[in-house]
Amino acid sequence: MGGSASLIPRDLLSEYQELTFLSKQEILLAYKRFSELLPKEERENACSARVPKSQILTLPELRANPFQHQICHVFSTSESGDDSMSFEDFLDMLSVFSDSATSDIKSHYAFRIFDFDNDGILDRKDLEQLVNCLTGQGEESQLSSAEMEQLIQNVRPAGQGMGTAPGTGLSAHLPPQILEESDIDKDGTINLSEFQHVVSRSPDFASSFKIVL
Amino acid sequence: MLLYPLLVVYKNYCILIPIFCFLHGFDAEEDLVGSLASMSTNERIKAIQKMPETMRKKREIRNKVLKEITKKSRHRGAQCTQCLQGAAVSFRRFGNTLSEYFHQLRLWHKTLKIIGAEFGTSVLSYFVFLKWLLNLNIFSFLINFGFITIPQFLAAEPNNLSFTGLEVFTGAGYFQQTVLYYGFYTNATISKVENGPSYNMQLAYIFTVGIYFVICFLILLFSMAKFFSRNINSQTFSVNASKLLCTWDFNITNEKAVKLQQKNLHTQIKESLTEVNKEVRNFSVMERVARIATHLLAWLASLGTAVAACAAVYFLSINNLKLFMKGYRNDLESQAAMLVLPVIVSLLNTLIPFFFSWLGHLEKFQTPGQHIYVTITRNTILKMSIVGILCYYWLNIVATSESQCWETLVGQDIYRLVLVDFIFCLLGSFFGEFLRRIIGTTVCMNLGLPEFDIGRNVLDLIYAQTLTWIGILFSPLLPGIQMIAFFIVFFVKKVSLMRNCQPPRKVWRTAQMMTSFIFLLFCPSFLGVLSVTGVTVWRLKPSEECGPFRGLSSMYAAVDEWIQILQSYTASKWVVWIYHNLISSELFFFILSTILLVVTYLYWQIIQGRKTMTELLRKQINNVSLAFICIFCIIWLLC
Repeated sequence: MGGSASLIPRDLLSEYQELTFLSKQEILLAYKRFSELLPKEERENACSARVPKSQILTLPELRANPFQHQICHVFSTSESGDDSMSFEDFLDMLSVFSDSATSDIKSHYAFRIFDFDNDGILDRKDLEQLVNCLTGQGEESQLSSAEMEQLIQNVRPAGQGMGTAPGTGLSAHLPPQILEESDIDKDGTINLSEFQHVVSRSPDFASSFKIVL
Repeated sequence: MLLYPLLVVYKNYCILIPIFCFLHGFDAEEDLVGSLASMSTNERIKAIQKMPETMRKKREIRNKVLKEITKKSRHRGAQCTQCLQGAAVSFRRFGNTLSEYFHQLRLWHKTLKIIGAEFGTSVLSYFVFLKWLLNLNIFSFLINFGFITIPQFLAAEPNNLSFTGLEVFTGAGYFQQTVLYYGFYTNATISKVENGPSYNMQLAYIFTVGIYFVICFLILLFSMAKFFSRNINSQTFSVNASKLLCTWDFNITNEKAVKLQQKNLHTQIKESLTEVNKEVRNFSVMERVARIATHLLAWLASLGTAVAACAAVYFLSINNLKLFMKGYRNDLESQAAMLVLPVIVSLLNTLIPFFFSWLGHLEKFQTPGQHIYVTITRNTILKMSIVGILCYYWLNIVATSESQCWETLVGQDIYRLVLVDFIFCLLGSFFGEFLRRIIGTTVCMNLGLPEFDIGRNVLDLIYAQTLTWIGILFSPLLPGIQMIAFFIVFFVKKVSLMRNCQPPRKVWRTAQMMTSFIFLLFCPSFLGVLSVTGVTVWRLKPSEECGPFRGLSSMYAAVDEWIQILQSYTASKWVVWIYHNLISSELFFFILSTILLVVTYLYWQIIQGRKTMTELLRKQINNVSLAFICIFCIIWLLC
């Protein structure tokens, strides 16, 4: 701890503490992990260096995450659009995924992560991609297009009554109609506030939307 | 909560009116800086932290705000506010460093992270709960050791019983005359220096235990409130979409576990889709009657088993008492006989749950949720009734028996129960998980790897904690023993989980489970313990020849006597006043509970009101969005 503490100036450290949800220890650990991603000669000034996306994704915390590309994209401030991350971007990311971040800010960023085409709304394409990420990208694990349609839009085979909700136990019953339930203003897409509204009712969200170094 | 439907309207239609939006955005930043500048430092930091912006933007805002503040304070020219601010900053720094030191004390951060990475949040919650109980026991051990045991060491009497080693299991013999049990504590006032400050053992004993229970009560109440307030939203409506949108567990980072979670989600989605497509089954009258009959039979069977188990425990314990009354023999036979009761109790506690889960399978519940809750309810009834019958035995039979020191006998009984329960817990992970894996992977391949049974394991923890709470009065160092036991259980369970188990296939509603676990810990367990302790302190006559309360009519009489003494000092009149008017007056408690009830009722009404309000606003949004579409169509047509 003592070794790395001297690398971040005291003022900067307290500033980071004020601007993020992280504690001093977490920031120092983040610094250590971040500088390990850099080549040896750049480690001296890790605060100003940028780590390319390919390096960021070697972190064990992100390596297997199906949303890894989106996470990099959302938190990167790189102007060239290569999704590389500076130390501050890295801290921003850890802050949102930390234990003490509020549910509001977590859901805000979750929305941006799930918004694959960055147009500010979750439309059907985003939802399809989201479901694909959840079920895995392999050929055999993807849902058929009819199933996808049903899952997202609530199109049911003829002869079915509308609104027969499936069992609402704590269990395996996943939603067969994302849009019907979360699209409050019925415009066919989910916007940020609708998303936050839905997420706020899931008590598990804050505990599962978490990455700790 | 009420605002967000309005926000929905706002967000949607500000896209339609971009100019307004631009102007608004421009104003917004000025407003923001202004409002941030007027906040207190702590609030400002929190508000800036909560902004969904990049670090650079946040820093910009912060610097603007700071500039604004210095401008303002220069206008005022007040030195004093700066002084105060400086003090506040340094105070906050101090607080930060303090919290960081506590942060470093976070035990097993890495272990918990690994468990979360491989098994997800639901299994993790068991370990978090275990850690929470461990912390509680460490705290209670430190309190008891500090305020009861250390003073006792100063007034220690020599122990002339021999130690053979078997006592570790039975808790009898040598341990009878150690600080482990109630009977060894003195009733004297300890003072090392002549005419110096003295230490009244009676008061120390009763106040330490009493304050510990009050603290426990508050801790439980607050953690329950915390979990409930998190869950209250989810119970108003059950929205399925949220389950899919929030279903990914970002804690899981192990590659294999990720693949597995994806596979599980895939099958779950498919299952639920086919289920929706299926016709909703309508049961005929006969089928319905048959279902109700099976449920009734299963309930009868499980309650009958619980009653039979209680009866067995009761007769066994009465038999056991006769053995004690024969006198303190130290031979092997009688020591083995002492262990029969705890072993039987633990056996019943371990085996009957298997019977219950078999019953649950026979019943064919409609949802797995029902199945889990019914099984947990039955197990809780079983465990609590066994503990209840033991308490009845201790308070009604042991306490009135002619033994020399009944409190120590009870303490020994609880010690043995805790120890044997701990051994059974270790055996449980050996037979339940290790052997099950061997069978599942070599003999019977289609069984596969076992899953970690969260419900059963948590109930075991709650049972162990209940025993410890009951035992605190009779054996003040019991939390220390339970602390060591929980510590070992943590590691054994962790290793067993890593080696033997696979991640759970079903998505558990973790937060809700945690709420029900804390609730179970509070409602039958802690409240039951409080009543047992209450009866012991107020109603039962302490032993004549041992313990700090010897010679008194009840343990509480010590407090009465103390108040009598205090009345003669003018300086401590307020204590007497508080005692007479608040603590021992029925009227005060009557008023207090009335106020509590009124407040609860008011809150309940407010919540109901909010629910209807949300529903109304929701309908309004639908209408407004329709109206807007109409208006835009008309405008478009006119143009």
